[in-house]
Amino acid sequence: MMGIYIFIFFAYLFGPLIIMSITAFNSAEFPSITPWECFSFRWFNEGKIAYDGQHLAGLLSDWRLHDGIISSLIIGAGVVTLSVPIGMAAAIVLTQVRSQLRDIYYSISIMPVLFPGVIIGISTVVLWDRIAGLGGEGFIADIGRNGIFLTILAQTCFISTYCFLIFVARLQRFDQTQEEAALDLGASQTQVFFKILVPYLSPAIASAAVIAFLFSFENYNTTVFSILSDQTLTTVIASKVRLGISPALSALALTIIALTIIAAVTYEVLRRRTEKRYAESQEKFVKEKAADNRINKKYKAGFKIPKGITAILLIVVFATYGATQIVKNDLYGQSCIDAADKEKKSKFLEQLQTLESNELTDEELSGGSLGGNQDYGDIFGDPSLFQDFGGFD
Amino acid sequence: MSADVELSDVSVTFGSFYAAKNVNVKVNGGEFFSFLGPSGCGKTTLLRAISGFQEPSEGKVLIDNKDMSGIGPNKRPTALIFQNLALFPLMSVSENIAFSLEVRGVSKEERKKRADELLELIALEGQGDKKVHQLSGGQKQRVAIARALAVEPKVLLLDEPLSALDLKLRQRMRTELREIQKRVNITFIYITHDQGEALTMSDRIAVMNEGELEQIGKCDEVYNNPLTPFVATFVGENNPLYGKVTGIEGDKAKIETADGQYLATMNESKKLNIGDESIAFVRPESLFIPRDGDNFDNKINVNIESFEFEGNLKNFYASLKSGAKIKFSVPNAIDTSFITSGSSIVLGFESSKSVILPKASLAID
Repeated sequence: MMGIYIFIFFAYLFGPLIIMSITAFNSAEFPSITPWECFSFRWFNEGKIAYDGQHLAGLLSDWRLHDGIISSLIIGAGVVTLSVPIGMAAAIVLTQVRSQLRDIYYSISIMPVLFPGVIIGISTVVLWDRIAGLGGEGFIADIGRNGIFLTILAQTCFISTYCFLIFVARLQRFDQTQEEAALDLGASQTQVFFKILVPYLSPAIASAAVIAFLFSFENYNTTVFSILSDQTLTTVIASKVRLGISPALSALALTIIALTIIAAVTYEVLRRRTEKRYAESQEKFVKEKAADNRINKKYKAGFKIPKGITAILLIVVFATYGATQIVKNDLYGQSCIDAADKEKKSKFLEQLQTLESNELTDEELSGGSLGGNQDYGDIFGDPSLFQDFGGFD
Repeated sequence: MSADVELSDVSVTFGSFYAAKNVNVKVNGGEFFSFLGPSGCGKTTLLRAISGFQEPSEGKVLIDNKDMSGIGPNKRPTALIFQNLALFPLMSVSENIAFSLEVRGVSKEERKKRADELLELIALEGQGDKKVHQLSGGQKQRVAIARALAVEPKVLLLDEPLSALDLKLRQRMRTELREIQKRVNITFIYITHDQGEALTMSDRIAVMNEGELEQIGKCDEVYNNPLTPFVATFVGENNPLYGKVTGIEGDKAKIETADGQYLATMNESKKLNIGDESIAFVRPESLFIPRDGDNFDNKINVNIESFEFEGNLKNFYASLKSGAKIKFSVPNAIDTSFITSGSSIVLGFESSKSVILPKASLAID
């Protein structure tokens, strides 16, 4: 029973992601699984020129996406450099404040998280527009209307609060007599900060930086206002969705998911390695101390089956089955894509011809231009549009 | 190398609360000096005032006859050993010990040399690369001492550093601390609520109660000639016998209690007059069961109530006619099979082993 519940839960959680990841490999113009066209990597590469002549960019050839990613990275770096120190400073101040002031200070500090992101974005733009308007032409006016600069400021507003919370949690376990001890041993306040507090906070600094970057990278509702005429990854994706979704977006999503998983696994492996090293040093220490031979007996390292073996096997089986099906049905490679394109072209021509013939019949039926239904023609737009197209290659 | 520490009329207030009140002490250079008192008596506050973490509200702290007002803890010639030791967990043992040299910009080789010297002093040679968490409780203790000594302070301040250790280790560390103090020959100021610790290690002790000094003196002096009922009952155990002074003969006074008359010794500075409300104190180990031929100045009839075995001593709890309780101890080697619960016996004590003081509140009330 428990197993079923867990399965449903994970299906709910990861189902959409898995479906979307699969659509990235379908060569069709719209992200889909069921009318499976051909297995292809085209959405990771150059994309395609559609049968109606529209250029559908793939990941590699989409310069707007590239610009967006670059802006997002710049903004992410900016947000990290601002939010981490701000969050850390705010958390350190909290440790120094006593009495009721502490609660008030804490409440004010976490308030930005509660504001809607939209409001933070708009208010930043409004404020900086005023500031930029003050100085006429020049540096102030330039940065006041620079989307990337404004987005860094706007995002830092609330992301520094998340950093603050991370530092507060870490500082709660800090033994303040260590600071006193360092002072007593002759360290200056600056030395106490860099030699005692910062090393203690370093894990929090790392996780605050990672979280700040991720929050910044995926933020949309604040960014969409503060970015002005520039584009970040999220705003590019949003504007693409408005025009109709492309499998290139699935490819992008899959790439981001893969990068995240790789990063998480690497982190976990490294963490386990340090933990193991720590455990070994502890064990060595115990053995050194214990004269008792029973503790010193050697443990033989045997081959152990990893616990995740069922999941791994399941994935391997499904992947193999899918791959053989694709190969068997000749759904892979250039020949498949050519065949699919050819079919679509002919269908498109057929439709065009039907359209033209329909229009004729319509005019006849309605008695020419006198009582004709003009709207009907508007649905398909100007028929001459297709004549200018110049045919297919 | 060592320095005098003088507290001149030091008061520390938190709002209207006096944590320390008009404290005057002069600790001599090279002395092992202890502040002894119950928790909350202000001894830690005094230590923080000496180390610079707490500015006195009134009065002055002088180290080597220099006024320390306005001088921060990192600029004073003192080193403090914290109750929880406050070792730096992210550093190795050597790095901990050499921290004070590092912040002073001493070169790496020099630091290593000094750390090795100190590791030898605390008998932890070759263990400098270990992390703090790999050490046992007693080793951590010694590292904390070495770390404090690395700066070559003139005064070492110790804030109940032994309180977290088990009994055996505590006893061993007492001896070790004393030895280290002799070797480095600097002033040690030790804070404790454990009178055993204070008595065994110190040259002199100051007993504190509610922010005020009750008595300063050599250990045996404080133990044998307490100045106040508080000191009498806080340092070691004492049986109080309440009554009125009825006669004075030289330095002895006669006290009339509900259970009879006793003769006790007066303190030179606490002279009594006839009719004064007073308390005579007699320690459990000064009460004896008279054998044939013994002639004690004072005799008490008691009713044995209960018995407690402590190892080296056997403690008996008894009541007097008036209902007052009394405790007496007998060395384990002495046969006490004839003392049973409910039996009545006579105890005796010498007037020279009993002190009489004006009535005031006790440490245990």
